[in-house]
Amino acid sequence: MPTFAYMTRCDGCGQCVDICPSDIMHIDPTYRRAYNIEPNFCWECYSCVKACPQQAIDVRGYADFAPLGHSVRVRRDEVSNTVSWKIRYRDGRLKEFTFPIRTTPWGSIKPPSAYPQPDQEALDSPLLAHEPEALMIERLPVLPRA
Amino acid sequence: MMFGSNPFALIAEDVPAVVMQGYVVLMALLVAVGTLVDMLHKRSAEFFFLDWRRSRAAARRVLGAGERVALALRTLLYEVLSAGEFCNPARRISHLLMFYGFIFYVVATVVMVFGYTAPMTATPPLWPILWHLGALMVLVGGYWFFFFIRVDVAHEGRSPWRLRRADLFIGTLLVSVTFALIWAFMLLARYTTAAWVFFALYVLFTTLLFASVPWSKFAHMFYKPVAAFQKRVQEAEGSSTLPQPTTSGGGRCPPSRT
Repeated sequence: MPTFAYMTRCDGCGQCVDICPSDIMHIDPTYRRAYNIEPNFCWECYSCVKACPQQAIDVRGYADFAPLGHSVRVRRDEVSNTVSWKIRYRDGRLKEFTFPIRTTPWGSIKPPSAYPQPDQEALDSPLLAHEPEALMIERLPVLPRA
Repeated sequence: MMFGSNPFALIAEDVPAVVMQGYVVLMALLVAVGTLVDMLHKRSAEFFFLDWRRSRAAARRVLGAGERVALALRTLLYEVLSAGEFCNPARRISHLLMFYGFIFYVVATVVMVFGYTAPMTATPPLWPILWHLGALMVLVGGYWFFFFIRVDVAHEGRSPWRLRRADLFIGTLLVSVTFALIWAFMLLARYTTAAWVFFALYVLFTTLLFASVPWSKFAHMFYKPVAAFQKRVQEAEGSSTLPQPTTSGGGRCPPSRT
């Protein structure tokens, strides 16, 4: 279910480029509008859909299994810290939901580029970034040797 | 001194006024035809009317003429005149500089070419000042956008010198206006040969700017306000596929650094 951008709504701001975890949202070199460069690798995380300040990105289902005529639209509201969903079913039913989305202020989460480069020892380590301190433990448990 | 001088009057002896006026009319025609071709090629008008019919069928309430006029005025004030759709303040200021600068520059060009190129006609200082001021505003906003704010540079991490078709509009606009200002300066400084060289470059890139409308994003100044108005109408009549904002105006343009 890949994303696509409504060309008349997109203003080419680049927020979807920054947030896409698959690095597949890019800027079209012909029209300077967002586009999905590799729809097969889109896992419908909706990050770009929520990040888009113009609500210009939508997700479409593949015609062989997604019900035609449905839509799943989302609007992020930084004033009330909520995200709202509007679901339209194929039979015309509409459902709307609103959820709180943040417990920390907008912009307070550091991007990866704000952290120092890891050294070779950290790269060779089986620990992931920010482990174990981000898990709030002193060290990861290990299996006892037989 | 430079800002108060009408450069078109200075060359009127060598380039007849009727030729300059014919050129301006030709450029206006190129924009009209180019926009039409652009709409047909991208099928944007077809998509617009398809979406318009869909939203009318899904409307929960019918808007009165007064409400539509109010929405059109709000679109004009918010999206068009104050570039309100840009959430990044830097991008908004840069766009406003280019928007108003381009209007001043084009209007002053038309007025000076059609009104003040005849012999022995003095140009009121307002128009040359507006022409120079408009050109400077376009250059400040444009170069700021081109080298620092442009998404290719700020988000894609590309070199500002890497040019693609998407740069056709901003590139030809900046080069054309830059050469226009250099030409005006050379004219005043009486560097005759250099003035003609820069005049030729100015005409070349201005022609490219207006003749490339079908391939550039020039037409955005026509379809963007229509799309913004359509979005407001859909929200007002309840036919928008988007959820209702949870706060007044919420989500229309969240504060953004990008």
